This record gives sequence, C-alpha cells and structure tokens, in this order.
Amino acid sequence: MKKFFHELNKGIFIENPTFRLALGLCPTLAVSTSIVNGFGMGIAATFVLLGSNVIVSSVRDFIPKKIRIPCFIVIIATFVTIVELVMKAYFPALSKSLGIFVPLIVVNCVVLGRAEAFASRHGVVKSIFDGLGMGIGFTLALVLISAIREAFGNGTILGLVIVRSFEPALIFILAPGALLVIGVLIGIVNYMTDRCYTA
Amino acid sequence: MPSNNLTVTPSPHIKSPLSAKKIMYLVILSLLPAGIAGIYIFGLCSLKVMLISIISCVISEAVFLKLRNRDPKAILDGSAILTGLLLAYNMPPEIPFWIPIVGGVVSIVLGKQIFGGLGHNIFNPALVGRVFLQISWPVYMTTWKNPKWAIDAVSSATPLAKEGARGFSYLDLFLGNHGGSIGEVCILALIIGALFLIFTKIISFHIPASFIGTVMVLAWIFGGEGFFRGDFIFHLLTGGLVLGAFFMATDYVTCPLTRKGKIIFGIGCGVLTVLIRLRGSYPEGVSYAILFMNAVVPLIDRYTKTRVYGVSKK
Amino acid sequence: MELNQLFMIAISVIFINNFILSKFLGLCPFIGVSKKTAPAFYMGLAVTFVMTASSIITWAVYSFLLKPFHIEYLRTLSFILVIASFVQLIEMFIQKFSPALYRVFGIYLALITTNCAVFGVAVLNSEMFLKSADNAVKALIFCVTQGFCAGVGFTIVLLFMSGIRERLELCDIPRPMKGMAIAFIVASLMSMAFMGFSGFRF
Repeated sequence: MKKFFHELNKGIFIENPTFRLALGLCPTLAVSTSIVNGFGMGIAATFVLLGSNVIVSSVRDFIPKKIRIPCFIVIIATFVTIVELVMKAYFPALSKSLGIFVPLIVVNCVVLGRAEAFASRHGVVKSIFDGLGMGIGFTLALVLISAIREAFGNGTILGLVIVRSFEPALIFILAPGALLVIGVLIGIVNYMTDRCYTA
Repeated sequence: MPSNNLTVTPSPHIKSPLSAKKIMYLVILSLLPAGIAGIYIFGLCSLKVMLISIISCVISEAVFLKLRNRDPKAILDGSAILTGLLLAYNMPPEIPFWIPIVGGVVSIVLGKQIFGGLGHNIFNPALVGRVFLQISWPVYMTTWKNPKWAIDAVSSATPLAKEGARGFSYLDLFLGNHGGSIGEVCILALIIGALFLIFTKIISFHIPASFIGTVMVLAWIFGGEGFFRGDFIFHLLTGGLVLGAFFMATDYVTCPLTRKGKIIFGIGCGVLTVLIRLRGSYPEGVSYAILFMNAVVPLIDRYTKTRVYGVSKK
Repeated sequence: MELNQLFMIAISVIFINNFILSKFLGLCPFIGVSKKTAPAFYMGLAVTFVMTASSIITWAVYSFLLKPFHIEYLRTLSFILVIASFVQLIEMFIQKFSPALYRVFGIYLALITTNCAVFGVAVLNSEMFLKSADNAVKALIFCVTQGFCAGVGFTIVLLFMSGIRERLELCDIPRPMKGMAIAFIVASLMSMAFMGFSGFRF
C-alpha cells in the first residue's frame, strides 16, 4: 500500500507535472481564467490520464516497440473523444469556455509522457495510482493558477466578490497575466527547492 | 560596484567622462520643463502623481536591492527616479493615488530588477509599468482632465481618441492646452528638454528623427480620407510621440548600439505607432510600439554589428 | 472582399491572436528551442511547413471523409493520426533523399510530431472554416492561409525570444528566476507589447 501511496505523492508534489516538469503548460495557461474552468480542465485531463494509463499498462506486452507511440496516441485520442462528447452533452457551458483545449488534451505532453515513461513499464494498479497522482497534481496546479488569476483579474473567488473596494487588474485574465503568474510561480518553486536543498 | 574597475558589464560602455549617474540626472533635468508645464496646465494633482510614482519606484528599488543583498547605494544612481518620473508623465493627472504606486512597483520589479537591475533590462521599465496599467485599468488610464482653466473641467478625450475632439488649433496642441497625460501635452517644454539632450550629446538624433519622420510620412499618406491627405502635424503634436521619441525610445539600455540599428529601430517604432493609432483599438500606440521594438533590439544589434577592425567579412 | 478576409486572417494569427503569446500553443518549443537564434529559425521553418501541410491534409480528411459520412466526432482521433503519420513520413523521406537537410531539420521534425500548435491550427481550422463551409475550395484557401500565417507568427516570436535570451545569458538575474522563469516573464512582457495590436480593423 505504501508503494502505491508513493506513486500518488510523487505526482502531486515531488514531480508535479506543471511546476517541476513543466509539462502540459499550454492548456494550463489558456484555460486558467477562472477556477471553474481550471478545475474542469484538470478533471478532464485526469480522466484521460487514468484511462490511458490503465489501457497502456494492460496492453503493454502486446504492442511492438517500434510503433508504440502511434498506439499510445490512438488510445489517448479515444479517451479524449469520450471526454469531448460527455462534456458537450452534460456540461455545455464548460465545453464552450474550454473550447479547442479539450481536443488539445490529446497533445498534452503530460498524458503521452506518463504513458511512455510509466504506464508502458509498470503494472496496472501502479499505473492507476501514477495517473491519479499526476492528474491530481495537474488539477491542483491549475486550480492554484486560476485562483490567483481569478482573484487578481476579476476580483472574485469561485464567482464571489472578495473585497468590495478592490479594483481588479484586467491584465491577469488576459494572456500577459497568465505568463506572468506562471513565471513567478516557477520562480517561487525554484526558490523553495533551493532552500530545501541548502538547508 | 564602483570599487572594482575590472567588472565586466554588458554594453553600452560609456567612454566619455559622463558617468551613468550624471547622465541620469541630466536626463531628469531635461524632463523638468515638461513637468513644470504639466503642473501649470493641470494643477497640483500632477505634482502629486509624480511624487507618488517616484517614491514608489525608489522604495521598490531599495526593497529589491535589500532582498538581493546588493549595495543599497545603487538607488542613488538616479535611474529609479527617472523611471518614476517618466511613468508619471505617461499618466492622466487625476488618477487614483494607488495607480502610480502599482505602476512604480511593476516598472521597477518586472521591468528592471528581475533582469538584474540597471543595464540588464530588455524593456524600458517605465513603459512596462505604463502598459501594465493601461491593460489592467484602461478606464482610469484614459480618463483625461482638461486644463484647469477650461470651462468643463471634468474630463474629456485626448485629441487622439477616435471620437474626434478636433477643433484644437496647432498652437493649442503645441503649448499643451488640451487634455492628455501629464508630461506629454506641452510639446514646447519637451522640445526644450530634447534640444538640451541633443546638444549635450547625451542622445543622438537618429532614433527621434527616424521615429518622428516615419510617423509623419505615414500619417500624411494614410491618415486622411484617401492617400496623401493626412494631417501629419496633428499626429506629431498629439499623444506621446515627442515624449516617447526623445526620452523613452532613446534609453541607452534598450535601444540598439549602432547608428544603422538606431535608424531601423526608429522606423520600426514609427510604423507600429501609426498602425496602432489608425487601426488599433487603443487611441495611442507609442508605448506599445517602443515596447515591441525593445523586444527586437537584440536581433537588430546582432545583424547591424560593426565589423571588428582588421577582420574581413565572413 | 475575399482578399480583405485573407489579409484579416493573416494579421489576426500573426499579431492579434499570436499562437504563442495569446493562445499559448507551442509553448514547449518556445521555451525549449529559443536559446539560440539559428535553431529557433530552423524550428520556425519546420513548424511553418508542417502547419501549412497539415492544414491541407486535415482539410481533405474533414471535407471528404468526416463530413460526408457524418462522423465529425472522430475529428480528434483522425487529425492526430494523419498529422503524426504525415510528419513521420516527411522525416523518413528527408532522411532518405537529403541527409544534409535531415541533419538540419530532422530533430525538429521529431519534436513537432505531437506539437500542440500544429494540432491546434488543424482544430482551429475545422472550428472556424470547415464546420460551416459550403464551398470546399474557399475553405481550403482560408485553412492554408491560417496555417501558414500561424507558422510565420510562431517563427517571428521565436526569433525575438532567441535574441533576447542570448542577451539574458549576460544578465545578473536572481538565481531562482534563471532559466524557465525569466523566459516566461519575458514572454509576458512581449505579450503585453502584442496587446497593442488588439482590436485592429481594416
């Protein structure tokens, strides 16, 4: 059990896909304008990660080495299509605001990266925990970034006004703000790791 | 680090007896007429904005230097004061007090110190601050105040705003008798400062000349109904063109090194300015244009490098 | 009228909705390959070529396969498959016929097989032009324009970035900000400058 817990922990903290590995940044920045969007994207990506990890790890012995990447892509694309259709049917508003970034999960480096680096080499159960961990880590990072952007850029958290007299800085919900937030956050994470290692 | 003469620093290297510090203070001096004009035209509220902006810049610089364990004396080199002053010149006079504060912090931290301080920055710090504010609080940054002796002293558009507001005589525009940002309205005062800088050889004329020249030619060709009908004098006298061309595009750190590079840089700024003025949704394009061209400077420098003496081409 | 529309598409994807600075597509190569100017330029060329070509291919797939059979929901799956196999094919082709060219471009082609900017342009094309297209030829012209110009916009920003990053090497940047963090800050400032183009009308 401890072993599985380790896989979970790894994805959330030690190898957080966004801050530590800098994978899957494109959707992270594009959809993090509000917490709802960020969370929705995170859940969608987690589902795809979980699904592709399970399938990849269970068929890993049957796939010829040479064409494994195309096979992974097909598996991932299948799950992305499922997410796309489900979201369109049950969460039309979310689907609209995430736009082309739902199909773009297919080229999200986190998903393919985990399939190649982990699921194709480990058992099903371990891969489930790995996918779950990475998914949660990704979702947390997304929620963090979108919370910052929503708070500064719109003056709200989950749609609720925080301080009445605060005048939101529009820039944070626009493109420059996203790049700024991620830059500063990476800087902070670097700073904290530096201190952890030197102390 | 003045004690160590062997420190290797990135260009520009100053060969004249003028130190960086002296230059900074001379530029500040040359900006004073425009500031005084701004206070005279809009009243004491302009002075308030300038002071808040300068203080905010200096304090941010001090805090950042302290955090990085650098010599705090570096605040005295005048660059933070200059940044604060330029930032204030780019703001409307009656702006909520917290906007210059935020602007100062953004200018110094994001525009300068994060790259390693004076001499390392890629973008002009004052413009980084101004564009940040413009994008964040567009309403405050474009609510202009009329000169204090005007009848409806509430607020009006800068003459450049698309809604028109024509009917200013060239003399009004030249003397600054219209709404606008603090430091950009009085062209006369700006030209006095600019001439001072050119005659003391602190700035060369290449950037301002090519910048303003391009704007005027393009405004003449495309600015009116049909070709060659544009009111190019109007385009020269309004907005931040003179302020930007003489005082912000010429910033040593963020403009190209060679003469050819400077001319390319100026033309680029001019083209973008006219493009944004005539076609964009923002009324004024000078700051975006300069900021954009700042990003191109490293490439310009690389392709206009002067050949090292004695080394053949290729 | 038509020409005007094409011009608008070009301006839009190069400046107003630049793929990197406003749509955040292709950030990985943007951060990864922008340290030197020459590789950045080759990367830009490769991306432009692949974007243009895959715009044509996905146009064909969409309007002759997905639309007639009403299987538009397979868009994601089919697009990624054709793009990935096309890039692989090109790579093999170049390797076979021009090893010199392969030495320059090979590594970039491998990198952009699953590049989100390339896939993004295909999806965007299908959303904007293909879904409601009544005239297939017209849609093709729009798709190719958008694909090519998106690549040009990508290359321009990559080149600027590479120039800046070569200069940053000499700068005294605070240690935690070095590398990726400062690259994002620079990107943010560039994106601010590009905001000046918003709302262009012609």
